Amino acid sequence: MHIDLTVLEKLEKLSHLRIAESKREEVIRQLSEIVSYVENLSELDTTHLDASFSTLEGGTPMREDIPVSDTTAAPSILSHAPMSMDGFFVVPAIIE
Amino acid sequence: MITLKEALTKSKEELAEIKTEIEKLARESELNAYIGFESSGEGVPILIKDNIQVTDWPVTSGSKILQGYIAPYDATAITNLKKNGMMAFGRANMDEFAMGSTTESSYYGITKNPHDLNRVPGGSSGGSAAAVAGGIAIAALGSDTGGSIRQPAAYCGCVGFKPTYGMVSRYGLAAYASSLDQIGPITQNVEDAAILYDAISGHDPKDSTSAEHERVSIAANLDGNRKLRIAVIDNYIEAASEAIQKAYAETVKALESAGHTIVHKNMQNTKYDIATYYIVATAEAATNLARFDGVRYGRRAEGSNLSELYYNTRSEGFGEEVKRRILLGNFVLSSGYYDAYYLKAQKVRHLIRDEFGAIFDDVDLILSPVAPSVAPIIGSIHDPLDMYKSDMYTIAINLAGLPALSLPVGKDEETGMPIGLQLIGRAFDEQKVFDGAYSLEQTINYKN
Repeated sequence: MHIDLTVLEKLEKLSHLRIAESKREEVIRQLSEIVSYVENLSELDTTHLDASFSTLEGGTPMREDIPVSDTTAAPSILSHAPMSMDGFFVVPAIIE
Repeated sequence: MITLKEALTKSKEELAEIKTEIEKLARESELNAYIGFESSGEGVPILIKDNIQVTDWPVTSGSKILQGYIAPYDATAITNLKKNGMMAFGRANMDEFAMGSTTESSYYGITKNPHDLNRVPGGSSGGSAAAVAGGIAIAALGSDTGGSIRQPAAYCGCVGFKPTYGMVSRYGLAAYASSLDQIGPITQNVEDAAILYDAISGHDPKDSTSAEHERVSIAANLDGNRKLRIAVIDNYIEAASEAIQKAYAETVKALESAGHTIVHKNMQNTKYDIATYYIVATAEAATNLARFDGVRYGRRAEGSNLSELYYNTRSEGFGEEVKRRILLGNFVLSSGYYDAYYLKAQKVRHLIRDEFGAIFDDVDLILSPVAPSVAPIIGSIHDPLDMYKSDMYTIAINLAGLPALSLPVGKDEETGMPIGLQLIGRAFDEQKVFDGAYSLEQTINYKN
């Protein structure tokens, strides 16, 4: 499949990324090549195979719903966050 | 450099001297294998890849976006290390977010191969492998999502082990592709790898994918005299360089001379493994790396509103390869393409695992190349797809969740660069992998 500018713009939005103008053509070419390459999987018959995969026998284990609290982690994370105040992360105003 | 086994017999005072000496050598080194000299715990110093959490260390996954981040806790592998006479010392350079095969994509610059400073050490655990091979670390921890422990170990002439998925806790490992990632040892020899693996392995309730499998000490039971049935994959080897093919043929002879039985097998074209891997890994990466938004961790780029803050932080903070994989991952997960790409790849994982299963019904181990060539010259790989294709021998093992150990078997006559091969085992059959590798190591007697 060929990735075009419209698809790239959609992917940038989904990824919260902006690709610099000078790189866009190159990125489109690289993504197109990679996507075309991975399409080789269509040569394989997977009709009867499960779409979920896990190497864990019996799937992900269940556990009791008991809260685990590490009281040291939160203050440490907040103190090293780009901006925090009164136990909260600070971001630009969301409501104008 | 002193081996891990020997270092574990040293007194506190002797270890303090060894650590001082390592720091001195590492600071003088041209390799750029260490990106920090932080220290945590007491015991034998082990170099830690920059994506494994150690309390109060800057742990940055080799990325600009994590500058300023300080780890608030120890990864379980680190906790286990400290319980077993070892400590964390120094951060090892790596490809940004473990996405790469050369350690050229790190925010901290290129790491060099100790055998030839013009060549890459491999990646993504390039700093770990270069330091061990370069005599500036006793042993190191790396992580392996698609070959990131085994390939740099092969390029640098040391031993690297990727455990069965679930045997080492992923708690505290910066997630790249959660269904593939494993922490593992990079060491000077097979026995050290077993010792370090034993130390970090264990069931962990903090990792829901941690296997509740019984752990028996591999190192204590290491047996180089055990005779094994080992498969060689005849159609795999054609794609490798002449030097790798030659080393492979000589290794097969060495295994036979050591009394092992060689069985010839074929496997499906590795192009399907590559395709499956780059769909699954990028899909998981796009999801895992969504958390880096400039709000909670690391570096924030300013923006006039929250959306601009996200865009600016991520666009400035991530390098090119990471951006490419996030875009790809969001492509294969996006509406309209999800079934054709992501679900298709998940289905193919069953085929890959079943194919290994069929071979392991007949044999104990598989011998395979690790990479199709020796370590390339720095800057020689320009095309991302070419780099992805060079992972052809390592990624199927991660997709199937199997254990595999890479060890040096010889050197390329033309370049003098080390050649590593890997032994792959059944899930949870690490003992046979180590026994086979121990036997091969003794038979070949490789010298760096």
